[in-house]
Amino acid sequence: MTPTDSFDTAVIGGGLMGCGTALRLARGGRRVVVLERRGLCMEASGVNAGSLSPMIKRAALMPYALRSYDMWQNTREWLGGDIEAHRKSGLILAFTEREAELLEKMMRERIEAGAPAEMIGGNRAKEIEPSLADGVILAAWSQMDGHGNSSRTGHVFHHAMTEAGVDIRQGTTVQGIAKTGAGFEIGTDKGDVRAETVVLAGGAWLGRMGQWLGVDLPIGCKVNQMSVTERMPRILSTVVNAQNGLLTMKQPPNGTVVIGGGWQARGDIDMDPGTREIIPGCLTGNVQVAVHAIPAMRQARLVRSWIGLEALTPDMLPLIGPLPGVDGAFVIGACRGGWEIGPCLGEILGDHMLGREPALPLFDPGRPQPQARWAA
Amino acid sequence: MSRVEMRVEGGVIRPDPVDIEVDGATVTAVEGEMLAAALLAAGVLHLRDSPRAGTPRGAFCFMGVCQECLVEADGRLVQSCLEPVRAGMHVTRYGRRP
Amino acid sequence: MSDIAELIVLGGGPAGMAAATAAADRGVDTVIIDENAAPGGQVYRSMPASFRIADREALGPDHAIGDRLRSALESSGARTAFGHRVWSAAHTEGGFRMEAVWSGGRAEWNAGRLVAAPGTTERLLPFPGWTTPGVIGLAGATILLKAQRMLPGKAVVVAGAGPLVMAVAASINKGGGKVAAVADLASPGEWLAAMPRMTGRADLLVRGLGWMRAIRAAGVPVLFRHAVRAAEGAGALEAVTLGPVDREGHPKEGQLRRFGCDALAIGYGLVPSTEVSRLMGAEHRFDALRGGWAPVRDVEGATSVPGFHVAGDAGGIGGAAVAEVAGRLAGLAVARDLGRIDAAGHQQEAGPLRAALAKADRFGATMARMMRPRPGLLDICTPDTVVCRCEDVTRAEVEQVIAAGALEFNQLKQWSRCGMGPCQGRMCGEATAMLIAKHVGGREKAGLNRARVPIRPVPLDQLAGTFAYDDSFWESDAAKLSLNVLPDENQVSR
Repeated sequence: MTPTDSFDTAVIGGGLMGCGTALRLARGGRRVVVLERRGLCMEASGVNAGSLSPMIKRAALMPYALRSYDMWQNTREWLGGDIEAHRKSGLILAFTEREAELLEKMMRERIEAGAPAEMIGGNRAKEIEPSLADGVILAAWSQMDGHGNSSRTGHVFHHAMTEAGVDIRQGTTVQGIAKTGAGFEIGTDKGDVRAETVVLAGGAWLGRMGQWLGVDLPIGCKVNQMSVTERMPRILSTVVNAQNGLLTMKQPPNGTVVIGGGWQARGDIDMDPGTREIIPGCLTGNVQVAVHAIPAMRQARLVRSWIGLEALTPDMLPLIGPLPGVDGAFVIGACRGGWEIGPCLGEILGDHMLGREPALPLFDPGRPQPQARWAA
Repeated sequence: MSRVEMRVEGGVIRPDPVDIEVDGATVTAVEGEMLAAALLAAGVLHLRDSPRAGTPRGAFCFMGVCQECLVEADGRLVQSCLEPVRAGMHVTRYGRRP
Repeated sequence: MSDIAELIVLGGGPAGMAAATAAADRGVDTVIIDENAAPGGQVYRSMPASFRIADREALGPDHAIGDRLRSALESSGARTAFGHRVWSAAHTEGGFRMEAVWSGGRAEWNAGRLVAAPGTTERLLPFPGWTTPGVIGLAGATILLKAQRMLPGKAVVVAGAGPLVMAVAASINKGGGKVAAVADLASPGEWLAAMPRMTGRADLLVRGLGWMRAIRAAGVPVLFRHAVRAAEGAGALEAVTLGPVDREGHPKEGQLRRFGCDALAIGYGLVPSTEVSRLMGAEHRFDALRGGWAPVRDVEGATSVPGFHVAGDAGGIGGAAVAEVAGRLAGLAVARDLGRIDAAGHQQEAGPLRAALAKADRFGATMARMMRPRPGLLDICTPDTVVCRCEDVTRAEVEQVIAAGALEFNQLKQWSRCGMGPCQGRMCGEATAMLIAKHVGGREKAGLNRARVPIRPVPLDQLAGTFAYDDSFWESDAAKLSLNVLPDENQVSR
């Protein structure tokens, strides 16, 4: 092993969480390597629908979402690159009495937690978004909403980390980790790497990574479908969401409309990304909700649907902090809405590892968890 | 603007010409003919402008792949290479910049 | 509409028609699907139903072959779904499911076997001005000439590689049009050297020589070892500049010749259409001499995915004659696998077909070799030339993201938007992959553009159809599957 393969910290997983942590550590003076088996941010970090919608986040995550919202708006300052973030107003729509009831309850909790939103009626919602269908009973409205272009994530972080001196090793597959006295030896298909500390940042693959060090991490996986239309004349001025979460829709400046909402597809962490499959009923379901909310979307043509794997935990909150029982190992990930909330999460773990007081509390990876929904 | 001479004579007998409307102008075409071909014969090559640079574009592949020949026909977006001509159809080059 | 069949054949060209006919003739419940209004594919594309045929001779041999294949299909009893755009091809527990949209709404088919015969797309390598209206594909020109009986322009430059160059030029000439010039990437020597391997299909060889003679006789300038350097025109094509190249397509010093024209038909060969075989997860291999990436298959077209065959050019370029025989072999294999024909009966029919395939394939392979990728042609693409037509991404922008650290096609796509527009990389895919290959050292390393649903753009209107929206909307299996992973506060129905 050469000295060039010896680091203060090895971050395993080059998604947003790993890149954010690596960047913070490198800027704090640490020698950092990022080991990524494919390219940076090619999975969930680079293929999510790009929502910047704090009000659709869980109450416990609200302070993190608000902090990261500002960070995404200022990427030129802290990343030196443009993520194409746009501030817009956003709507969460309820079309039935049942949906209205749930929306009311859900938003009361979130607004108490600081969500910058208010409840409005259908007529007001239609003034805000003239393309909206009739029949909205109740809506939540936030002027602190918007979207970014998640597919640029890898590009801008590659640039920022290069500037900060991070050793970026794309196309490098980690095969295992051994704890050696004060540090770790990490075996990869391109040779071994040594590091004092390791950060596991593997998203949906975190469970597998925990196994390398004999730790069971409670990680489940959502297989989310997203779609985009071809460019079309301006049809949406807001970000449009459905009460139950199964629709997010926005139109970036290029005129395409991105349709998400977490309809499920077929796939798992072992499948080659190219063989994950859209479930036709889920695609048509998603499209139906989209045209129900915005009838003019019927004119659009869908050009591409794709699939991202989203990690989740039984309590729907992230794992950020020391890996239980393994000194010097840390974990970060499994945050619902992780792309939107991610920027500040890398910072807080980085700060913790640098011995600084993080701006917001970590999420103890070893906390007790309820029974997982997906295991039921 | 008709360039009927682009239609090869012999071999086939075409039905009588019909009129279609392209952005308000009357164009002579043949019922059942591929709309993209009818537009080409009429000298209507510039079907849309590219989205970023705004450069002129016309039908390229004539087989449903390139998406360059997208027009609005009777209120629907269609690839004109997959759309047959119907008498009286209204065609709008919706992708052209003003 | 949901329908169950034993075999789905995707694609109504020679391979698809022959596969469906062979299977249906032996009692296999077969449905053949294609987005075109009638069977034929590209080479044997049928003419509009409104055209009355007056002189079959004048239409050339391909029309007769197409009619023969069409009438065999019709009498086979195969069910047909033309005018249906398949947007999803997926595995199911018991086999395969295709979803389509058509003028009547949505349609769905399920079957235990699938033969995909989606054919090819053209290899297009950008040059300055290639986005000018009037610049069209060689295959597109063929379709105009054969199926529409229409000239591509009043004065046409025809350029590129392979037999289509001379075929299109001769066809324009025969149709009374003016060919301004012909540029062929190959040298006369290259054609001569190929001829011994073409004698197995003397009919096709004679036809090709006939094209050449006719063009010469018409006094058309024919420039061998030449490529298009630039096209120009404001709003529509006005002129094309041709220049000499070497064997691999690199532009060479020499006389540039400019020809006034209102159409340029250009194509640098054919590339297998592999969206469906990639979606199915079949194993693929890169073979430059067969057009590039193609599914690995046996002689019956069977891929690495059980029950899934690929026939025709989509499995590697071989041409229409090969496609027909390969389709028949695939259809027979399905009939045998379903027990509609016993091993002996199968052997009796398939044996001669295999011999015919080998013979036709020698010719096809020779043509495919003439149309192989010639990376030197990339040197004609200047930094500010658009590579991705849909998104207006230039060569310089593509190379910037390669320099910035993008490793392969899918990452480059994310970083540059190259290949992200409505054609989904079908126009720029080859050029982009060749550019990446140049920097990373080989097409295998450059990666394969991931296939995505929808296979072709689909109007949301057709996907959504009519439906009622109320709380019961969320009771569908798809909705329940998607809601089940969400926290309780989101749940509409329980």
